[in-house]
Order: sequence, then C-alpha cells, then structure tokens
Amino acid sequence: MRAKTPFQFYTSSQLVEITGRKAAKLKTFLDIIKEIEASSIFYHVHHAFREHQFAPGMYTNDFAHWVGEEISKDALAERLANINIKDYTDIASLREKIVETIESYLKEDPESGNLEAKHNFYFCKSVAVVMKTKYLVWDQEEFCSILGKVGLRSLFFHFFEARLRLGRKTNDFSDWIKFNFKKEKLARQIEELDPYLYTMDQLRDQIINLVRGKKDSLWERLLKWLKPR
Amino acid sequence: MVKTKIEGYAKIIRPQNFDEIMLLAERARGQSIKMINATAVGGGVAEILTRVVPLFNELGIKTKWEVIKGSGEFFGVTKAFHNALHGSKTEITEQMMNIFKETSEANLAEMSFDEDVVIIHDPQPAGLIAAKEKSKAKWVWRCHIDTSHPQPEAWNFIKSFVEKYDASIFSTPWFAKELPIPQYFIYPAIDPLAEKNRELSSGEIDAVMRKYKIDRSRPILTQVSRFDYLKDPLGVIETYKLVKKQRDCQLVMAGGGASDDPEGDQVLHKVQEAAKGDPDIHILLLPPFADLEINALQRASTIILQKSLREGFGLTVTEALWKGKPVVAGAVGGITLQVIHNFTGMLVHSIEGAAYQVRYLLNNPQFAKKMGEYGREHVREKFLITRKLRNYLLLLISLKNQGKDLIEL
Repeated sequence: MRAKTPFQFYTSSQLVEITGRKAAKLKTFLDIIKEIEASSIFYHVHHAFREHQFAPGMYTNDFAHWVGEEISKDALAERLANINIKDYTDIASLREKIVETIESYLKEDPESGNLEAKHNFYFCKSVAVVMKTKYLVWDQEEFCSILGKVGLRSLFFHFFEARLRLGRKTNDFSDWIKFNFKKEKLARQIEELDPYLYTMDQLRDQIINLVRGKKDSLWERLLKWLKPR
Repeated sequence: MVKTKIEGYAKIIRPQNFDEIMLLAERARGQSIKMINATAVGGGVAEILTRVVPLFNELGIKTKWEVIKGSGEFFGVTKAFHNALHGSKTEITEQMMNIFKETSEANLAEMSFDEDVVIIHDPQPAGLIAAKEKSKAKWVWRCHIDTSHPQPEAWNFIKSFVEKYDASIFSTPWFAKELPIPQYFIYPAIDPLAEKNRELSSGEIDAVMRKYKIDRSRPILTQVSRFDYLKDPLGVIETYKLVKKQRDCQLVMAGGGASDDPEGDQVLHKVQEAAKGDPDIHILLLPPFADLEINALQRASTIILQKSLREGFGLTVTEALWKGKPVVAGAVGGITLQVIHNFTGMLVHSIEGAAYQVRYLLNNPQFAKKMGEYGREHVREKFLITRKLRNYLLLLISLKNQGKDLIEL
C-alpha cells in the first residue's frame, strides 16, 4: 500500500556547548535545573542514548548518574533514573517532574542538599544540525528496509528529538503510520516501545519487526536476552 | 603532509556515520580554515593537525596550517604558562608577559588571515587575536590542556586574549572557564589509519622489539609520553620496581621531545639516573616520526601505563585502548573520559595503586583481554578522527548560525 505522503528520513548531529553553569551541591543543582535552557535538560536526559551504543551505563540520564556517583544518594539516583522520557511530550513537564523528584527527596533528607559532591555537575546543551538524508520512502516495506540502513542519529531524531525537542508529541514513525495507513494499534505499539530496555540497534530492530508484523521466535528472544545490552 | 583517503575510514566506523560526515561536509563545503599552533612536530596537537588538515581539504574545506615562530626564550615562557595553566606552581613575571606579547606581534607582522575561520591551538599563539579586527574571519581558540585548576595570574593573562575570540573549544566540560564567548566541547581523537595506529604484522612488531633488545617472552609494561614531570616518569619507575618485587617484567619508557618543550632534557636525565643499573628498564628517546616504533611498542606491550599527574586528554591512552591493550592510568584530566574504571581500563591515584592494578592484570589475563576489547569499542565510538571531523564540520555550520540551538539545513 502506497502512502499519501512519503516518509522523509532526516538526521541530526549535535555539537555540545558547555553552558558555564555548574553545581557542587544538590541544592545548587536543583536551582540550576529550574532555570537552565530547555536544550540543556534535553541534552542531559538523552545523552546516554546517544553515547553508549555498545554498553549502557547504570544510569539512564546524567542527572541520576551525578546524584548516584558524586553525592552517593542512591535512592534519589534511582528515582531520577526511573523518570521515563516517554511519559512526557514536552521539556517543561519533564523538567517539572525532575524538580518535583528532587524537592520531595530534599524534604525527606534536608541535609543532603548541602553535601559537597566529589566532582561538580557541568551543565551542557547541544546545538543540533538537522539535515535531510537521501532516503524518501512510500510504503512500509521500503520504510523497514531504509530504517535498517540509516544511521542511529536518524533513529534518534525521529524517535526522541521529534517528540520532545520539536514538540511533535509523538515519534515521527508512529505519526506517519497512523496518518497514512490508519494503523492506530501499530502506531501506538511503536510509541510505547521502552527505549530504556534496548540499545539503539535493538530499538531499531524492534520497530522494524513491529512494522513487518514479525514476532521474535523463542530462540531469538532468548538470544536477545543473553546479548549484553 | 600525510595523505589519507577519506574513504579508508568507511570500513572502520559504521557506514552510516561515514555517510553523515559526507552529508555535513556537503553543507560546509566552500568554507576555508586556517589552523595555527606552536610546533610542526612532536606532541599531540601537531600530530592531529598532520592528519586532519589533508582530510579537510579532501572534503572540500580549504584548510591551511601555519606554525608560529619564536625564540628559545619565548618557548621557555610558554612552557611556564603551560605548566601554570595545568596548575603547577610556576612564577609568572611581567617580563614573561612582555616576551609573549612581543613574539605575538612579530608573528602577526608575517601572517595574513583571509580565511573564513581561524582556529588557534593552545596558549602559545593566542595573542594573534589582535588581528581579528582587520579580518572577516570567525576566530576560535582550541584549548588542548587541562585548565581545571590554573594558576590565576597565568589564566587571567591568557583569558585577556581568549575572551576576544568568537568561540572556544575545550576537551572536557570541566576544563571550561567563565568566559563571555560560547564554549564548545570536542574530544581530541586519534587516526586509526596513521602509521602510529594502523594494524601491524607480527614481523613488523618483532623487528622493532629486536632493534631495542626487548624480550617478547616476558611481560612488558610501557609508558609512551614526553619526558615531562607532569607525566610522572619517575613514578612510573617506582611503580615498575614495586611490581618487579613480585612479578618478573620489563619496563619501556618511550618518548620524544617537542620543539616547544625545553624542560625535556632535564627530565630525561633524571629518568636515566633512576633507571641506572637495571637492564630491564628501556629508556627510549625516539626521534619525531618514530610512529611505527611507537605503534609496535604499544602492540607488543602486556600493559600500558599512563601515570600522568595532570593531563589534557592523553592521546597515548586513546592509542593504547584502540590497540585493545589493558591500560593503567592516572585518574586525571581527559583520561577519566576514556578509562571507565574496571571496564575500559584501570584508574589509579598513586604509585602503589598503579603497582597493584598492574599486578592484578598480569595475574588475570582473561579479564585484561576483555577490558582491552571494551576499550577499543569505546574509542571507535568516541575518539577517532572521524568524530573530530564531524564536530569541526558542525562547528563551521554553527559559527554561521550563532545563537541557534536548532539549525535546520
């Protein structure tokens, strides 16, 4: 079945800018999170997805990593790590959740706000350069075949960046499938994929399998489970 | 200058990443760059420029590389600044500042700046910013050194130049300073196709080891670095001596000098004194362009040490990781970005710690091998020259769109 509108694959490359703002204590960390540019929040919650392709770290975002490693507040680190970016469709509400999580922890453990970290947290942000790739597809099979070829930055752009940074509320793949093929269930299944459970390569495979309607065999599921993430 | 064809990298990195570099290059094509640093040979900066400049030209970004001229006195002054910016106690006098300014002016008289972007590497040529008013170029200061704890007098002096630039680049976020200009963060990188990093045959490795009379049948610990106090060469010898009490091994300390480092001879002399009488310590003073030798020494080593006390980034660590070697390194500067403790290498804080980790790795070769494999993948993702090219291309695009967080091309 041919789509009404083709899917254009884009890619996004990022240049990291150091904002110059840094925190040595949890209280300062919280104050900066409240007011730093949205692109800094975006950078720190997605950084791990972009950077750790062969082996993910223990924490899913930079904020959780710093709290766990540098001020050794493991419970707060776990709570921050448990914030799933997929539950948010804009940076403002994601920021609000991070702030609320830290504030509620500080009520339980007020002294932790003034503990000196082993190392500062340096707030960065990224400048994204978004470009069209040569890939334009008209049907689902072609879509799967090209998704298997494009770079992980392209996947990142359509799956993460489009939702939060460009404020499109959902990922581009679900949007295209829903609009062109009226497959609302498939669109929802893609949107509901949990990125924290996969490397970017595995996430790509999952999307392709969903679109092709392919279910993993027991053997494939076992192999994936055994493969280090 | 060395010519490497850009296509050669397509087989080393993910092909999609390679395609994206070509896409960025298309958008940045037509711009011109001038790179300026203080030495044509020796040291990591000259080494990376040797590789990057031809690649930029091949991508259609016209790039020139020039080196400033200076007397021995000037390079003595800039070495003092270098040490002071790294945080060592070094006296900075007004006379030194005057020598710095005078040499900058003398170089300015002989240089022109007609390119779109001028990238100045490190403090030595920072004074050339005085030419900015008369040029149409965007000026970028690329800092390769660890400026996290600089001596205030030295930093304030250099800062008076740096804040006039359009942008700056640091190797890690914690080296960045309070500056009124944008500060970008770009990792340094190594070239996997360079003579220093390319794959070698066992015959090539054996020939080098025979040349330096190093026994391949016994464990080899190696530190490759300039003879510089900040690389703690004397601490490396102490580490080796502690290990040697319990495990037979050899130590190779290989390094060259750089024309902007007048302190090297003095350090080398002390290292030779400390090694005197032990036939298993090999002190190798290598000439510039001894890249094949360094490559072979690293590949023949059982463990690579980089026991730096301060470090900008530590490209020798990147080289060792790329060769799949277990690394024991000081937890300083950019080394901590490369060595994830217990995963891609071992981070240490003392001579005793270094000796312990070396002994541990010698006794657990399977673990050491796995760590080496993770280290290589870590470098493939983050610290190869292709990533640097990508970032510089992004910088060129970003400088044309300053102030924007999202650039849609």
